Amino acid sequence: MKAKKVVKDQKTNKKEKTENMTIKAPFELEKLSNDEYILNMGPQHPSTHGVLRIILKLDGEVVKDLYADVGYIHSSVEKMCENKKYEMIMPYTDRLDYLSAVNYNWAYALAVEKLMGITIPERAEYIRVMLAELNRIMSHLLWYSAYGMDVGALTPIMYAFREREEVIDMIEGMTGGRLTHNAFRFGGFKNDLQKGFMDSLKKFIGHFNDKIDEYEALLINNVILTARTKGVGILSKETAMSYGVTGPSLRGSDCAIDLRKTAPYSIYDKFDFKVCTGKNGDTWDRLKVRMDEMRESTKILKQAMEGIPAGDIMAKVPKIIKPAPGEVYTKVESARGEFGVYIISDGTDKPYRIKFRSPSFSNLSVLKEIAIGSKIADVVAIMGSLDLVIPEIDR
Amino acid sequence: MIKYIADIIKGIISLMEGLMVTLKHVFRKPITLQYPEQRPDISLRFRGRLVMPVDPATTNNRCTACMLCIRACPNHSIDCEKLIGEDGKPKPKAVSYTYNMGSCIYCNLCVESCAFAAIIMSDEYETGTENKASLTLDLVAEKYELKGKKVAWWTSKFKTEE
Amino acid sequence: MELIKELFYNSGKPLGELYTWAHGIWAGWGAPPFLLDLIFQIIIGVAVALVVVLNALWIIYYDRKLSALMQIRKGPNRVGPLGLLQTIADTVKLMIKEDINPKAIDVLSFWVAPLIIFVPTFAVFLVLPFGKGLIPADLNIGILYVIAITGLTVIGILAAGWGSNNKYSLIGGLRSAAQIVSYEIPMMLVILSVVLLSGSMKMSDIVAAQANYKWFVIPQIIGFIVFLIVGNAEINRAPFDLPEAESELVAGFNTEYSAMKFAFFYLAEYTNLFLTSAIGATLFLGGWEGPFLPPIVWFFIKTYFVVTILMWIRWTFPRIRVDHLMEFSWKYMLPIALLNLVITAIVIKLV
Repeated sequence: MKAKKVVKDQKTNKKEKTENMTIKAPFELEKLSNDEYILNMGPQHPSTHGVLRIILKLDGEVVKDLYADVGYIHSSVEKMCENKKYEMIMPYTDRLDYLSAVNYNWAYALAVEKLMGITIPERAEYIRVMLAELNRIMSHLLWYSAYGMDVGALTPIMYAFREREEVIDMIEGMTGGRLTHNAFRFGGFKNDLQKGFMDSLKKFIGHFNDKIDEYEALLINNVILTARTKGVGILSKETAMSYGVTGPSLRGSDCAIDLRKTAPYSIYDKFDFKVCTGKNGDTWDRLKVRMDEMRESTKILKQAMEGIPAGDIMAKVPKIIKPAPGEVYTKVESARGEFGVYIISDGTDKPYRIKFRSPSFSNLSVLKEIAIGSKIADVVAIMGSLDLVIPEIDR
Repeated sequence: MIKYIADIIKGIISLMEGLMVTLKHVFRKPITLQYPEQRPDISLRFRGRLVMPVDPATTNNRCTACMLCIRACPNHSIDCEKLIGEDGKPKPKAVSYTYNMGSCIYCNLCVESCAFAAIIMSDEYETGTENKASLTLDLVAEKYELKGKKVAWWTSKFKTEE
Repeated sequence: MELIKELFYNSGKPLGELYTWAHGIWAGWGAPPFLLDLIFQIIIGVAVALVVVLNALWIIYYDRKLSALMQIRKGPNRVGPLGLLQTIADTVKLMIKEDINPKAIDVLSFWVAPLIIFVPTFAVFLVLPFGKGLIPADLNIGILYVIAITGLTVIGILAAGWGSNNKYSLIGGLRSAAQIVSYEIPMMLVILSVVLLSGSMKMSDIVAAQANYKWFVIPQIIGFIVFLIVGNAEINRAPFDLPEAESELVAGFNTEYSAMKFAFFYLAEYTNLFLTSAIGATLFLGGWEGPFLPPIVWFFIKTYFVVTILMWIRWTFPRIRVDHLMEFSWKYMLPIALLNLVITAIVIKLV
């Protein structure tokens, strides 16, 4: 008798809980007109690139309203980091954005180095730039292939992965990891560049620009794609700024903000490169910006390869990382936009609070603004052009 | 009307360009590796699973059970038990070294913290298993023999430290 | 041996002789003659079914190998020599898989849809001229029959979309209906210009009109291109694979299908590809006509030439958007096809 009651209690509790937990969509199901229906895109959908759920209110194929439901793979990285020593957090920053891990490492390393006042040897800075640019290329290549899949072209992925493999091999030779590199240490690097890195880099730079031309001929300039993307998902400069959109998605809207240029960290002020921008802010401009950015990255790589000095790769860093109390915010231009790390240190070997400012979250928030009124296929195309990485949204 | 025709011609040209790219690739050699037979050339610093290799000079592992790696590990994947001698005092020797491959994130921090080069990330990447229990390994009892190009790198590491 | 040689190289006369010979024996036994006709029809049906299945097995393998070539991969190479048995392995896998029927399906349309899709593709083989006289039934409305029968496919896809009780499937089904209906018109116009040239709708007459290498691809080059595009759209293959647009609609109308029902869709898709190419080869490339080799070989060579072009297109282009698809049909394909028809008619009248 008693047991039964308990079971009943649990049941009612559960019901209450689920009722509380149901996410209220911004549009009510009852308010649908006769022509409209709700379509759940995700959490498991081929083109959400992970566990993202987008609830679409559709009229036929036209999107009337949408709601991005995030948090399916929330892993509470920020909270976890409060219980880790500073050195241990480095591999976790890899896992925020597994496609351009080096840039995320860099933002975190910069933050701690700033807190501790460490200056990095010049050679290490050069290596950092090289790894970060290779990583940017790697990330953009994956975006290109995934975008091809999104719009239904199945061949680009094979071509882009051929070059991506070269890049990954280079970074793997340097750091040991293929995707989650855990490349940086406070003060520089543990290991110098591997033998043969420069040769493979030279070879890569030599033929990469031709490959980009090939990619553009295959997909970006294709008339079917240009028809699908030009004039679709127009993101005005003002909207982009007000939503905090950064990275190539912002630069597509004719806004030349690139942290490497506007707030140069490390040694980026030494390099000569262009900030690529689009004109109209439509989907196609965002694609083109990414393609151009790969070319610019190659330029930076070339300059870095020529200018790299010999010398130390590690600064003098105390064995136990214990930054003085204080707070710091550093930001880098990752492949997706501005990635910022905010740390409050209380003088112990663990951060008191850590906050990651992830670009994909802000970039996703603008989706509602630009995708309403387009078709289902456009939602996919627009989402692809924002280049989202889901673990980074959910953190 | 002129725009209509120009659009068609422009479209056809762009489509032809795309077709030419794929046609060119028909005559290129496949780049894929036939995996189980052909294996990739793995780089020296590749981070496979953690091993505690047997030192060929002493035919024993180099671990002194100093617990540095355990403190360096971000998610407690390693555990180590120190040898207690007959006199009741701890000896610089590990009795067991438990490594949980399931939670390991292959970050290399333990290897870097090790002052004696007792542990190293091997080039074993096929670590999948059907049995969860087999993910927990005792590296001391395993007596792993390091092979391949990592050996020279590993030995060079501990010669400079000694 | 003589018979086979006649069958491959010459007219349908031996087939007719065979029939009269069999008929004589049959009448000698005193059996009713319609039974013999039935037996002959069953034999022809089985032969066609064999061609369909074997050809589908090969064409799937060919598609995978060709895509591998374009994507600098190797493609299937594990099952059998050069992976030739890969498709058979896949078929066996599909046969022994669990047939999942979702709870809320509309049972009748869900079950019938794969059949409705498959039967027309099977039926079209009836009028395909594989060689001189090697045509299961030489209807005098051959090409009209093809158009009529292939139009039925849309019912199957709609039924699949509706019966699955899945919004993705439904969108796929509706897309397919719109697509096939609007692409039927330029298709008919193109075929009509060929019919104008040949002066007959009979398949054998169309081939005969192209005798001595006066293939219709030369006067009808625009028609041929339009046919390729429109034919590709009709069979729902990339870049027109909107009904099953994988990245938008998960798998479109066959989202909920599994096991053998899915195999039917798959079989129908590739058989349709073969059919469109075969009709293209018959209408524009002179059918089975060609030197040295037996006509049936020429028929397959030409068909596979068209198949290759369609596959090449498929593995290169991104998917077209649904409203562009309609626009493309009504704004580009239809005027071009119509213009082509009018010019053909005028030229025929003048010459």
